[in-house]
Amino acid sequence: MDLEFTDEQQELRRTARSVLAAACPPAVVRAVHEGRGDGAGLWSTLVGLDWPALGLPAHHGGLGLGFPEVAIVVEELGRVVAPGPFLATVTQFAPVLVEAGTAAFLPGVAGGTVTGTLALAEGGRWELDAVHTTARRAGDGWVLDGVKSHVLGGGTATELAVVARGEAGPGVFVAPGTAVDAVGNPVIDPTLPVATVTLAGVEVGGDRVIVEPGDPAAAQVVERALQQATVALALSTVSTCRAIFEVTVQYAKDRHQFGRPIGSFQALKHRLADCYLAVERANALAWFAALTIAEDDDRRAVATAMAKAAAGDCQRLLTRDGLQLHGGIGFTWENDLHFLLKRAKAGDLLLGTAATHRARLARLLGLEAA
Amino acid sequence: MRLRFDDSVAAFRTELLAWLAANRPSPEEMAADPSVSTGHAPAWARRWTRAMFDAGWLVPGWPPELGGRNAGPIETLVYLEELAAAGLPRTTNVQGLGIVAPSIVDYGTEAQRREFALPILRGEMTACLGMSEPGAGSDLASLATRAVLDGDHWVVNGQKVWTSGANYADFCFLFCRTEPDAPKHHGISILLVPMDTPGITVRPLPEIVHPEHPDLNEVFLTDVVVPRDNLVGERGAGWAMANGSLAHERGMVWVSAVTGLEEALARLVAEAPGLLARLPPTERALAVDQIVGSAIDTQAARCLGYRGFARLARGSTAPEQALMKLYASEARQRLALVAAEIQGADALEVGAVAMDGHHAVDQPQGTWLEQYFHSFGNTISAGASEIQRNIIAERVLGLPRG
Repeated sequence: MDLEFTDEQQELRRTARSVLAAACPPAVVRAVHEGRGDGAGLWSTLVGLDWPALGLPAHHGGLGLGFPEVAIVVEELGRVVAPGPFLATVTQFAPVLVEAGTAAFLPGVAGGTVTGTLALAEGGRWELDAVHTTARRAGDGWVLDGVKSHVLGGGTATELAVVARGEAGPGVFVAPGTAVDAVGNPVIDPTLPVATVTLAGVEVGGDRVIVEPGDPAAAQVVERALQQATVALALSTVSTCRAIFEVTVQYAKDRHQFGRPIGSFQALKHRLADCYLAVERANALAWFAALTIAEDDDRRAVATAMAKAAAGDCQRLLTRDGLQLHGGIGFTWENDLHFLLKRAKAGDLLLGTAATHRARLARLLGLEAA
Repeated sequence: MRLRFDDSVAAFRTELLAWLAANRPSPEEMAADPSVSTGHAPAWARRWTRAMFDAGWLVPGWPPELGGRNAGPIETLVYLEELAAAGLPRTTNVQGLGIVAPSIVDYGTEAQRREFALPILRGEMTACLGMSEPGAGSDLASLATRAVLDGDHWVVNGQKVWTSGANYADFCFLFCRTEPDAPKHHGISILLVPMDTPGITVRPLPEIVHPEHPDLNEVFLTDVVVPRDNLVGERGAGWAMANGSLAHERGMVWVSAVTGLEEALARLVAEAPGLLARLPPTERALAVDQIVGSAIDTQAARCLGYRGFARLARGSTAPEQALMKLYASEARQRLALVAAEIQGADALEVGAVAMDGHHAVDQPQGTWLEQYFHSFGNTISAGASEIQRNIIAERVLGLPRG
């Protein structure tokens, strides 16, 4: 048992941080929030550095590193509120393909020519039971009908992994972005853009069936991919919270009132100590979950739900105290704090809130049947 | 980063488990003669400590002459976890083994090691830690108990309070002011004071639950004569030594706090079906959510402990110690309250669950409501939660002192 990073992992983090300091300064995030940019330049930079390829197997054009390395990059992206298709492509789309054991699309993901996402949720529920989208066999291919909600990056992804229900059970299909009707929702955090995706008689060829309806592994493929997406979002969210925490501590040191730094008042000290505790608690659980995925440990379902629930608890405190302790300045559009606050909030509300994951834990821990 | 231990640890674990199976005191033996204070070592506990000392299992990280086997930090962690899993305390005299003996080994003379440290390690003597005073709790450096050198002996006058185990201990590791004119952190020295010295009066302070087993005491010292050679380390260096010796045990104390929390959670989860079945659906859902919250708290405590340990094992002084103390003690308090509230009015009943009296362990004791009240012992002692928050704010976050 060793929950500390290796030297190589620490080096990767240092590199990622320094790359992003240059490639994703607050001005890039502000441009996205103000409708003046989409972070396309950032994505080109990340592709140039092979980041989309990090965790993919070498025989699919990847770099063959593990989930912890992907997680480190995800954390660094969350820390700077990076916009762009990384999270959707690398932590939602690619895992479904890898779990399904298909080689399709992975070289494109690794090379940065394919961006993707996972179209699972309907009515805001990321679970198989919520899937009503249908898959009907037609000749060699399938026809998909239904409406997917809150598809991360769904408005721009070149490929969408769609979970749909056939007569024999659920399956997974890859639909091209050009074949679906994706409408981006106006959201408070445009760095995690979500779309409503309508599939109206979308035809997909047999080569785009990733998991055939009726395949007994279907539920497991979706579940295991969803765990990776969920842990990645938890890590990203906690990292955003740590950024809120750091700027708030700095503000408490810099801002003077009554002739002393406001951080010298015990009322603030104790709140910041509790924020620290919440960040460390959520971080420890998220990394534990990341390791259960990396090592395919049988605690991964419980660990994933705990990680997302704790990330939710963490953002609730950090969003509130980060804003409150900044006083009026944090309430203004011109201060960069709100980009972090909104990203943290989005991180809780997507892929199931803290309450959703606590309910899941109740089932996993055998408490529900009482 | 990895979840599993190295294979090299497996041999260590196998050897330990085999030795424990052959040498451990039986649960019946322990229950028949419980320890009633952290200064009290029943006959089985004395034999057990001695057996571990002789076999090099008492303090694995130390050399054989001090009851160890020069084990590394990971082996020590495995050792503590296996003892906790087996329900075995290393000693009933936690302060003696955890703080007093290591401090004497670090700072004491050869004679002090022989006459005070080794007897603790061999289960022959127990020690208490004389720190807090009526006017010196969180502000420990303000302590006022005075020791004046008079020829070949010290004369001690003053009062200690909250002294765990003083009602049974053989000697006290006593913090007292020897340099009244020095700044308060530089005027404190440590004396080894046999508790049967004339002039010492011990008055037990029964606690709010289970007053029949008092562990805390007031200790009054009136013209107590202590040999000059019983001074530990340098005169006036007591404060620095206190920080050094307390740090000793802090690196690993989280293990018993976390295993205690895990055991309390396991009990709650085992009792949950019966408790929840009595509740109507809406109330049941609220109760389940509370239990799940404690399950997350417990897993987080384990993960935080492992991470702090990983940093400690790499030689960095982890800020996790204040965090772990604060977090684990408050998580335990929340869990006990969650359980008591789910029980409803039944939680009021006393004597419903027996106390086995092993003060030295963090295992759950008594009813949930009794555990709740008892849990304040850990959020108040050894630096109250509010002090821990100050420590985190000032030393970890670097916020200015108020």
